[in-house]
Amino acid sequence: MKLAASSFFLATASFASAAITPGIPVAVPLGGDKPDAAGVEFFEKFIRPVLAQKCYDCHSKQAGKQKGGLSLDTRETMRMGGESGHAVVPGDPTESLLMKAIRYEDSDMEMPPKKEGGKLPDDVIAKFEQWIKMGAPDPRNGESLSMKPIAKREWDPVKAKEFWAFQLPKTHAAPEVQDKAWARTDVDRFILAAQEAAKIKPVADADRTTLIRRVYFDLIGLPPRPDEVDAFVKDKSPNAFEKIVDRLLASPQFGERWGRHWLDVARYAESTGKERNFTFPAAWKYRDYVIAAFNADKPYNEFVREQIAGDLLPHVDNAERNRHLIATGFLALGPKGLNERNKEQFRMDLVDEQIDVTTRAVTGVTVACARCHDHKFDPIAQRDYYAMAGIFKSTETYFGTAAAGGKNRNGTLLLTLSGGSTKTPAESAPAEPAKDLVPAPVQAAPLTVNNTANNTANNTARLEQLAGKNPQIAARLAQMTPQQKEQALARLQQRFGGTLTESTTAVGTPASKKAAAFAAQAGKKKKGKGYAPAVKQEGELCMGVMEGKRTDARVLTRGEIDQPTETVPRGLVPVLTNGDAPKISDSESGRMQLADWLVAPTNPLTARVAVNRIWLHLFGAGLVRSADNFGATGEKPSHPELLDTLAVQFEKDGWSMKKMIRSLVLTHTYQLSSAHESFANETDPDNRLLWHATQRRLDAEAIRDAMLAASGQLDATPPNGSVVASVGDGYIGRGIRPEIFSNYEGKRRSVYLPVVRDFVADVLEVFDFAEPSLVVASRDTTNVPSQALFMMNNEFVREQANAMAKRILATKLDYPNRLNYAYHLALGRPSTEAERKRADQYLLTEAKALIPLKGGDKEKAALLSWATFCQALFASAEFRYLN
Amino acid sequence: MNNAPHQCNNVMPTPLSRRDLLKTVSAGFGWLALQGLAGHANAAASSATLAVRAPHFLPKAKRVIFLCMQGGPSHMDTFDYKPALKSDDGKSGEKGRLFASPFDWSQHGQSGLWISSAFPNVASHADDLCLLRGMTTDIPNHPQAFIQLHTGSTQFVRPSLGAWTLYGLGSQNENLPGFVTIAPPIQFGSQNYGSAFLPAVYQGTRIGAQREEGSTATVTDIHNPDLPADLQRKQIDLVQAMNRDMLTRGASAEIEGVIQSYELAFKMQTELPRVLDTKGESKATLDSYGIGGGVTDSFGKQCLMARRLSEAGVRFVEVGHGGWDHHNNLKTRLSANAAQTDKPITGLLADLKQRGLLKDTLVIWGGEFGRTPGNGKPDGRGHNAKGYTMWMAGGGVRGGFSHGATDDHGGRAVENVTHVHDLHATVLSLLGLDHEKLTYRYAGRPFRLTDVYGKVAKQIIA
Repeated sequence: MKLAASSFFLATASFASAAITPGIPVAVPLGGDKPDAAGVEFFEKFIRPVLAQKCYDCHSKQAGKQKGGLSLDTRETMRMGGESGHAVVPGDPTESLLMKAIRYEDSDMEMPPKKEGGKLPDDVIAKFEQWIKMGAPDPRNGESLSMKPIAKREWDPVKAKEFWAFQLPKTHAAPEVQDKAWARTDVDRFILAAQEAAKIKPVADADRTTLIRRVYFDLIGLPPRPDEVDAFVKDKSPNAFEKIVDRLLASPQFGERWGRHWLDVARYAESTGKERNFTFPAAWKYRDYVIAAFNADKPYNEFVREQIAGDLLPHVDNAERNRHLIATGFLALGPKGLNERNKEQFRMDLVDEQIDVTTRAVTGVTVACARCHDHKFDPIAQRDYYAMAGIFKSTETYFGTAAAGGKNRNGTLLLTLSGGSTKTPAESAPAEPAKDLVPAPVQAAPLTVNNTANNTANNTARLEQLAGKNPQIAARLAQMTPQQKEQALARLQQRFGGTLTESTTAVGTPASKKAAAFAAQAGKKKKGKGYAPAVKQEGELCMGVMEGKRTDARVLTRGEIDQPTETVPRGLVPVLTNGDAPKISDSESGRMQLADWLVAPTNPLTARVAVNRIWLHLFGAGLVRSADNFGATGEKPSHPELLDTLAVQFEKDGWSMKKMIRSLVLTHTYQLSSAHESFANETDPDNRLLWHATQRRLDAEAIRDAMLAASGQLDATPPNGSVVASVGDGYIGRGIRPEIFSNYEGKRRSVYLPVVRDFVADVLEVFDFAEPSLVVASRDTTNVPSQALFMMNNEFVREQANAMAKRILATKLDYPNRLNYAYHLALGRPSTEAERKRADQYLLTEAKALIPLKGGDKEKAALLSWATFCQALFASAEFRYLN
Repeated sequence: MNNAPHQCNNVMPTPLSRRDLLKTVSAGFGWLALQGLAGHANAAASSATLAVRAPHFLPKAKRVIFLCMQGGPSHMDTFDYKPALKSDDGKSGEKGRLFASPFDWSQHGQSGLWISSAFPNVASHADDLCLLRGMTTDIPNHPQAFIQLHTGSTQFVRPSLGAWTLYGLGSQNENLPGFVTIAPPIQFGSQNYGSAFLPAVYQGTRIGAQREEGSTATVTDIHNPDLPADLQRKQIDLVQAMNRDMLTRGASAEIEGVIQSYELAFKMQTELPRVLDTKGESKATLDSYGIGGGVTDSFGKQCLMARRLSEAGVRFVEVGHGGWDHHNNLKTRLSANAAQTDKPITGLLADLKQRGLLKDTLVIWGGEFGRTPGNGKPDGRGHNAKGYTMWMAGGGVRGGFSHGATDDHGGRAVENVTHVHDLHATVLSLLGLDHEKLTYRYAGRPFRLTDVYGKVAKQIIA
């Protein structure tokens, strides 16, 4: 049985039947050259008459026809060409599609067509060739390129939804299996039924030491302690394993492990990356939010809603409000080129990044592919992209960096968190409308609220003035009592007025003026080089988003900001919408609708994608192996009915991650051995039928954490903040040395290491840490020499080995038991007979050579021999693989 | 390579997983061992993906040395002679008052190429040089242009030219990394020699950084201060014995990969310092690179390292040199930069030639952009993305040849305009790789170095 994807590609190829040229090679000059008189004469004599007689009927704006997107009546449009490519490339007939067409070289593109008179005479064709060789001199000055029609793909919207991933998942009854005793849960029945159909059998179960190591790393990313292994091996109760699973799910280390999986997808990092790498000193709050959400088993649908639209969600107190704001950091954390001179370009790149991360992280489809043209493979139109772009264009992103100064053309402020979290829901209720006013300050005007005036009348008037500019505020304001209006104003001041100081100007300037100055500076065309002054904000800050000025986006031809065409109303991707599309009113960005739509029962992808990722982290590969791509070019699920059933179950169970993880870990399938006669079994060499456990390499964090655990050096307490927060605002390379991050060691869990784009800590980088600028659902696992060099020579590894040796030598154990202890600490099992012999050889014989190296000091030599022995355990494949 | 030619609009991409790659590549080191052991590859990557692969067509060059001059060297003061700039000195130009080159110009070699007095030694190799005088790039800002020069994209994280090269051709030396970058400007990040979504085996191994002394820098974690080599070998034997135990419990390509990685690492540990150690070179050779103190010493050592790495089979070597951003004091500062590099570059060209390596080693010189004919300041020039010069030598390019041209003052490329994408397409072509066919599937579609752009400058190929 072959479960290859090739047939699938054939089946879905019809989605993408039109060929479109997506860009303009810069090397093709589209115009602007002034042809010489001789060239113009040649054109007028030999070329224009032919074009007019033979081509314009189907390929000119005047005629109203531009077949294949090609217009031949201006120099620019002719050179740019149509959907197939450049019609004319000056100087290069072989690259000019026009030549190919008139020579009838391609049966799909014979021009003029036979029914229109057929092929041109050879001497005419020769003239065209000569003309192109001359550089295609052309006096016809064109019009705006934006007149060019957008390349369109057509698809039947009903048919498009027939693709498996765009249909809503349904529950399927577990199939009947022959070996009823083997299956413990319905998941097992789905798995076993497929195996039985393929006439293969599952292997034996993993032994207990293997199983406990597997489940510890899978659930909390740490190895079990020797006593925990021992207790499990001895525990004969029927629910021994279940008890461990429940304990691990309840431990705070669970969120540190599973939160990190989400941080991969969320391309979490603490700096902008790109050309000028500015720090994000507040990013860690998002990291902690994610970890806490997993520990609290926050329903996944809520988790998603908070990250997309936390600022718009109701809340019972300041603490919840703060969490919601921090969650929207998801949209603010992406890589950014702050040096971009063109504000609109920066904005559209930001919007693009937000569309990309949102759609890929949550729905596993790449909507951002449709920025420049209709999606090539999935039924997502360029219009759909710009409908979603309008939502993010109507959103204001607060990613910070404004405090850094330096060559920053696009920095923003951060959001201010509310102080205190002690308010009860009842107490905070009256202030509710005021909180909801917070979106208002994103416009420049509210920043000029006069925070020095205590004049209620003035302030109320100011609020009312604001309301005039914002219908949402107007509606809220109409319901407020005078006190509430005051409170609203106070909140505005607290958030944006009184907390701003400008580092470059004298203390004492009214804060509001500084804020206004910053807003003006940031929003406007610069003086000098256009770098905004550094603005320091005080108080508790976070990255995130708020509602911005409502605006629909215009479709940009080929994604270029100077090529706008039609305006598209804000909206969501039709092919992923079942039933009525959510309505977005004029007074809102649509982000709330987007968030709700992502997790609505009518969204076919979100639950499937989430469940598939859980599966991936527990079994080594997803049921859909292309875990970040559920589109037409992704792979089909190996067990579609199981995936759908799990997706529905996930929603039924209140989107509980822990429940889903628990149910999968307790399957018989999860608890199989990895040992297998794979090469005797040609039926399913890739183990898509899960007849044995897949040997998996630990990820970078687990490798480092496991060394710290074995050495006894691990500091399990979460830090308050991060290295980047303590470094503060700035950009790396100037003032901030990258080694601070790339060589950072520390003894806390790896999830708390600084994640600075381009300067990820070596220990993480070397073991395939997720590239923090990309949405990564499934990490690479490589085996490269740099990893070997790291384990052999790196200082951190040697230090941990040394600490582990000291730990072992500090015990009162005898030599054989010390040896066993070392194996227990590093590998979670006792040593074998063969291993003891080899250890004896190394520790008792070979290591004697260390004595003279240590100046005859036997104790030092013994420590070094044990340290290098422990290092060998760290370096072994077994240490970094789960069986 | 069974990957389909890529256009963004290609509707039938052929998925090429790393496992497929393992199966389809011509057997180099690694894969045979795996086959013998396993019968099929059980998992994804291992060092086998570095195996030598056949190019798409007969290559002119087998390896690349890229002398990367960060900062944007002025073309009209080095390799792009603009007499009109002299006659129009002081007149107002597009970007401010025109500024004549303070250097003397003369013709060199049989070919009569014009080269300024800033590079008297390189000028003696005029007949080896292929000047690309019509270069353009998109953005006149250092970081973006630098990243575009290396990855083709300013906007997204993409694999670097060296990574694509290694992906396309594999490595010729199993004891060394296949892509090495010496003293890159570290502030622009590892992206410039990274592999992005390509398998990590293709990323560049960095030696030193631009602000460090390239000559003293080495690869990280290459040496264990605690253990002498013979004892470390015993330690590794212990590791490998455990690893082999694991294989007896069940064959696994991944574990095999781990075993190989230790053997290669151990060999690299010996081989790399040996290759990087220039002590065994003759005095005449050292002198020819300008090694032995003085301003040429540091870059000379780096160039010599580059030759030694290339000779040892490293596919792509980049050598970094910074400080070419001459907004003011151009005469003094450009002279100083040229003085640091002129002799080492000449030494490298001569050395490669003498060893018979120049014919199939493509040497590339240039920075992320060029400079303006004047920027209103006396003795200084601004950034210019619209026209500049790079040059190539060896590796199957036409020597003593000039391709492309800028306008009378050097402000913009006007003839045979060569965008960075075209440069990339041309470099790959010289290596026997079709830039439209060298693709990698990521996020559901095939990607290539040149995205949807790139045109091979066929005229420069000998």
